[in-house]
Amino acid sequence: MQTQVKTGGSDGQTVNPLREGLATNRIADPCTIVLFGAAGDLTKRMLMPAMWNLRLEDILPTNFGIIGFSRTPRSNDDFRADMKAAVDQFSRSGPAKDPLWSNFAQHLTYVSGDFSDRGAYKKLRATLDANDKQLGTVGNRLFYLSTPPAVFATIIQQLSDAGLGPKDQAEGWSRIVIEKPFGTDLDSARALQAEVSKVFEERQTYRIDHYLGKEPVQDIMALRFANVIFEPIWNRRYVDCIQITAAETVGVESRGNYYDHAGTLRDMIQNHVINLLALVAMEPPISPSADHIRDEKFKVLSAMRPITADDVAKMTARGQYGAGTIDGKQVPSYRQEPNVDPNSNTETYAAAKFLIDNWRWADVPFYVRSGKRLARKYSEIAVTFRPIPHRIFGETGDRIESNTLVMKIQPEEGVSLRFNAKVPGPKMHIRAVTMDFNYGTGFGVTTAPAYERLIGDAMRGDATLFTRWDAVERAWEIVMPTLERWTATHADDFPNYAAGTQGPSTADALLASDGRDWRKI
Amino acid sequence: MPTAHVSSIGDVVGILDSLCGVRAGDGETTPSAVTMNFIVFIDDPERRDWVLERAARVAEKHPSRAIVLDSTSAGAGLDVSCSTRESGGARILNERIDVAVAALDHATIVGMVGQLTVAGCPTVLWWSGAGLMESRTFSGLAALADAVIVDSSGRARDEATLRELVEFQRRYPHVSLHDLAFMRLAPWREMIAQFFDDPALRDDLFSLQALEIDSGSEAEALYLGGWLGSRISWEATDPGTFRTAHGETVVFTRTPRGEGRRVVRVVLTSGDSRYLAQLAEDDENVVCLSVEGKKAKPGWLVPLHALDNASLIEGAILAASRDPIFETTLETVRGLLGIPL
Repeated sequence: MQTQVKTGGSDGQTVNPLREGLATNRIADPCTIVLFGAAGDLTKRMLMPAMWNLRLEDILPTNFGIIGFSRTPRSNDDFRADMKAAVDQFSRSGPAKDPLWSNFAQHLTYVSGDFSDRGAYKKLRATLDANDKQLGTVGNRLFYLSTPPAVFATIIQQLSDAGLGPKDQAEGWSRIVIEKPFGTDLDSARALQAEVSKVFEERQTYRIDHYLGKEPVQDIMALRFANVIFEPIWNRRYVDCIQITAAETVGVESRGNYYDHAGTLRDMIQNHVINLLALVAMEPPISPSADHIRDEKFKVLSAMRPITADDVAKMTARGQYGAGTIDGKQVPSYRQEPNVDPNSNTETYAAAKFLIDNWRWADVPFYVRSGKRLARKYSEIAVTFRPIPHRIFGETGDRIESNTLVMKIQPEEGVSLRFNAKVPGPKMHIRAVTMDFNYGTGFGVTTAPAYERLIGDAMRGDATLFTRWDAVERAWEIVMPTLERWTATHADDFPNYAAGTQGPSTADALLASDGRDWRKI
Repeated sequence: MPTAHVSSIGDVVGILDSLCGVRAGDGETTPSAVTMNFIVFIDDPERRDWVLERAARVAEKHPSRAIVLDSTSAGAGLDVSCSTRESGGARILNERIDVAVAALDHATIVGMVGQLTVAGCPTVLWWSGAGLMESRTFSGLAALADAVIVDSSGRARDEATLRELVEFQRRYPHVSLHDLAFMRLAPWREMIAQFFDDPALRDDLFSLQALEIDSGSEAEALYLGGWLGSRISWEATDPGTFRTAHGETVVFTRTPRGEGRRVVRVVLTSGDSRYLAQLAEDDENVVCLSVEGKKAKPGWLVPLHALDNASLIEGAILAASRDPIFETTLETVRGLLGIPL
């Protein structure tokens, strides 16, 4: 049996036949990654350790360069030393060792300048050209915006003015990765998109939502579409409700400045949570290609009923944490956090009930919630099925629970199914038991951090796990009435939940009015 | 770990249940799960502890019923034991049955294993014994298995083992066969592939004229050469020659060098360039890749990920199904060994 050489890579070139069957079946093209905001926390904690690990895993191409771009004046050597310290501290693979680090560091260079300084972009262009010649990066460029959102449009415009946009390229490709938040509301998102689309086409734009890079999030699709047992019952006929929870124990920490102008609705619900909802509720895509999956996600978002201004009070709940106890330690209230307005109206907890107006999900409530300083760090999607139609088993006092399928996202990663079983013995006692699958023990592997997956995908040109503009816009449309109402109305009951608890009682009331309860965090 | 000696095979399951505490009591239920039967055969006293330790590491991660067939001592009977641990709120059970088989004939061993396996679970056989096809015990156990794991490398008889594997694949085409010697080469396959990820160099892959592999044992060189050849439609015409799809000759040179189970150097030569991957002089866990000649590139370093045997066995278990890359490689190795179709 011999293997035929295949063609048809996304770049239209011959596929490397030696890649078949290897862990990485398509390595990225040669390219230079430009990190805007290279002095920032994200670069140190996530991006550079991710790129180093991609190098260790042989996922980076051999012809690659990384250019740090930031306001802080630094030499190449200083930048390399800073990145080494960052990798030593934050990489999952531990401290970087020579000679591998030295070899990797030769590919790192630094350009300092203000994001609006035209001269700095000339220096950037010269450095990119030098990389093409010296490192063989053949004109391929991945621009990564890990800066404050306020300068996204400026950077994109400057790239274009400096002749670094894709339309100016004689050879190679250019892509742009944009960190969330993509806009602060519907209007600002549209304004930003207008700037992006002047320079980059949609297929060249990668809006990152790191939640989508998490392994259990990707497994939602595998669970749904690689098994035959779930799809027949994945609809209004069998599903009673779906709860999506993204709970954190941390407060705003050093992000008070940002968070007090954002809040949970913008920071979590509009992107992470709505993306999870779309993955759970979408129809089966016809293929795993980026556009087929994103088409189906968009259809679900299109069918989501926006919560109108009149419905905000009965379909949503907001909260803000007060002082309390987390892990046995006293923590301050949100309004006492650094860089937070002492009379802040910003929510640190948001819950909502969404409805999807289509044949599959009509009348099935999707309850979503996210908050800071809650009892436990825990993210999950719980699908609760309808009660049995007629009870024939169980002693009088036995409670027959509804079946629940839980997709656990963090900190545990796995799937559990709750079902009823007979308790051994002469009587017909029924008790609910849990069948549990854990990725760590099930596959005996540790999963790579989301950023490693997403950066690798962007370099390979795989946009499946990135958010397309139509979905971003639709998600803003869905949350805008709530956002406007919450902004316009001062929450007199804030703070309305103590740190370390389940959240505000108003959120409980949201479900109680439907005769349901939240799952315990 | 609670252990009990069992005199009758019929008592094994009951005693295991008792040791693992899965029996109901006071109205409580304790669920248990076994995801596979893991049969381990040992016949080399010097490797016994090594094999057992690696088998235990695999069982730590995969709830299994391990049946250890120990042919190294003259003991008799069965010992059963059970370990439990908590993970993510669940209780993971590992059952182990040690059987002294030195005094038993192959039919008894195979019959016993058939009774001890959990019905409905996949059965994985890790054969660490010396012979394969000439062993009737191996043949009998292989017939019970869904997957067979062997290691053809490092026993001074690599070539003979590879010949047996070729025969095995013919005789048991439905059994998923995994050779740790081939799996161990994954980092080298990655590195060779890296040369040709660069689109500017890819065409050279189809105009190679010579392949040199230096390795400490024979299986690595045969497998690596066989893998490369099978990927690009080379046909092995004799132990030192491939013929390309265009009828051109590629000279294949294998040189014994370095420690067993390790590759030291790979060189691929095209018309105008030379692709070199070799262990770094100052660090045996790093490989230096370089391209010399017309398409010269500066050297770059890549980590040589050490793959321990427990991880490799785990990889074979997780792979579950047959590996077409391995099978086509073995087919090319058949040609290199001069075994007729």
